[in-house]
Amino acid sequence: MIKAVESAEHSGGAGQQAVADHGGNGHAAAPRVVRVRILRQDAPGEESYWERFEIPYVENMNVISILQQVAARAKSRDGRRVAPVAWDCNCLEEVCGSCTMLINGRTRMACSALVDKLLEESGDEIELRPMSKFPVVRDLVVDRSRLFRALERVKAWVPVDGSYDHGPGPRISPESQEDAYPLATCISCGCCMEACPQFTKIEVVRREDESAEAFEARKKTAFDAGFVGAHAISQAMLFNGHPTGKMIADERLEALTSQGGIQMCGNAQNCVAVCPKSIPLTRSIARAGRAATVWAIRKIFDR
Amino acid sequence: MTNLYFGVGRQPRRGGCPVRIGPGVELSAARQFVTANDPSPSFLARHQFLIYRLFSLAGLIPVGAFLVVHLLTNASVLAGPGTFQSRVDMIHSLGPLLVPIEWAFIFLPMLFHAVVGFVIIANGLPNVGSYAYVGNVRYTLQRATGMIAFVFIIWHITQLHWLGTPFGGGKFDPHHATSSAAVVLRPLLISILYAVGVLSTVFHFSNGLWTLGITWGLWTSPAAMRRANWISIAVGVLLGGAGLGALGGMRSVDIEQARAIENRMDDVKRMLEGGQSPVDHQSRPGAVPISGTTY
Ligand code: HEM
Ligand code: SF4
Ligand code: SF4
Ligand code: FES
Repeated sequence: MIKAVESAEHSGGAGQQAVADHGGNGHAAAPRVVRVRILRQDAPGEESYWERFEIPYVENMNVISILQQVAARAKSRDGRRVAPVAWDCNCLEEVCGSCTMLINGRTRMACSALVDKLLEESGDEIELRPMSKFPVVRDLVVDRSRLFRALERVKAWVPVDGSYDHGPGPRISPESQEDAYPLATCISCGCCMEACPQFTKIEVVRREDESAEAFEARKKTAFDAGFVGAHAISQAMLFNGHPTGKMIADERLEALTSQGGIQMCGNAQNCVAVCPKSIPLTRSIARAGRAATVWAIRKIFDR
Repeated sequence: MTNLYFGVGRQPRRGGCPVRIGPGVELSAARQFVTANDPSPSFLARHQFLIYRLFSLAGLIPVGAFLVVHLLTNASVLAGPGTFQSRVDMIHSLGPLLVPIEWAFIFLPMLFHAVVGFVIIANGLPNVGSYAYVGNVRYTLQRATGMIAFVFIIWHITQLHWLGTPFGGGKFDPHHATSSAAVVLRPLLISILYAVGVLSTVFHFSNGLWTLGITWGLWTSPAAMRRANWISIAVGVLLGGAGLGALGGMRSVDIEQARAIENRMDDVKRMLEGGQSPVDHQSRPGAVPISGTTY
């Protein structure tokens, strides 16, 4: 990683300039240094604190490249040696969903957040914070296991397990393919949950005397009492619309109408506004609402 | 990764209020901090879906339906005190049934909606500061206007409904509908507070219609939601107009004239009831003296 940073510095002319000019007399339009303020936390349960960094400006940087430089330097703006800032990333092209953080106060993917644009909107300092609705593991790394637990809750899969050949799957019309495809692009980034005013943080702390299994079970119970989130509602609708996935449609609706289900949505529609994949989440939510209405009435009369 | 969950050092902050950590920056601290094994879900938790759907339904029927009837009835004052008086007489012709009907179809459903509404508000974490989208502004206003409506309705009932009599209110006289209401509403400050209360309630109801349609799945596509928005706007404008119209009507009506009309109508009612002759209206129980004038 350090190698990559060095080559970035020495290859581009802009990088060289930036290293040369730390005084910031600001005669050029482009900033010579980029300032970042990062909300850090050393471990779960610890107090968080701000730390400021300054790194040379390089053209076309994104937030991940800022974090790489911060890690390479491991030095705060006032010159103290500090532990490198921890963060998550993987694909660097907005498909793995692991690099979500609060950038200038809003949830988004760090890998697709371009520094030039950020500086345009926020002046000369960029602010990075970990997601606020998931427990912090360290610095910008959060534990998103609740997000995946929510997918388990609504059984977001097609049940095809078995030891014999089921034969070819049913045909799916181009129309329903088109309907389903956008929903299938979810990257489990958690942006929809982070921005949702109805989704609040659930943090479970492991007790000293607790086994890993007992802790996991307690975490599950706690998560299952909370809101499932827009992504899970949308995934439930994706698989309820699939001819094979439909087979357990009732089980998904049961999950969606249990504690923390669809009823927790307050129709703020932030989820759809922040989703990096522009998934029509509110359409899924309204469809889930309709399915839940029909299902609840059916449940009364079919008993 | 799991061993990171040992509670190291200090316990995180508990509680539900956002923490300001810098200019324009709020850290959402409304989180559940779980330390004990949760007992099995309570009755309320197990029936959360049903309760929230009944809450939503109550907002429309009967509470919302009552709001529509109530505001349109009040707006009839624009056609004159006589018209308003005959509408009120129609309602009061329910006689002894009026009280149970009020409780069953208005007060109790509204109380239920309000209690669940406060629970919903307490569990949410508004964030318009960071995400100033139209939908989010509406979400926040829905909660704010719900709380304003709550305070307003309690004040309004105390002031005018006979239930408020022990608290120095109960000033509405069903036999002198326009004049008794007009006396109460006439002061400018009271009128302004009523305008705020009525408009908040109307916003809450008409915006609630739109969210209700999503909640129950009446409109599902973004295009349908946009079209449905026009229903909300139309209902809001109509009811807002009716509410403000009623208020304006009460303010501009000639109280003495209204009183005279009401007295004549009252005499007719009494004669039809028991063949009594006209009475001295000032000495009737419930009559409201108006600025020292005797009628
Ligand atoms: C005149 C009285 C009222 C009427 C007609 C009314 C009507 C409505 C309607 C139609 C909805 C939409 C339900 C949905 O989206 O499914 C709603 C939502 C709501 N009401 Fe009321 N309401 C009234 C009073 C109150 C009061 C006193 C409160 C308590 C503070 C309150 C709190 C709420 C809340 C928080 C919501 C949003 C729920 C959500 O979107 O999750 N309302 N109301
Ligand atoms: S529409 Fe529902 S799920 Fe989406 S942000 Fe609003 S409350 Fe959350
Ligand atoms: S629905 Fe969108 S915002 Fe939510 S997890 Fe999936 S990709 Fe992210
Ligand atoms: S690194 Fe994969 S989405 Fe950003």
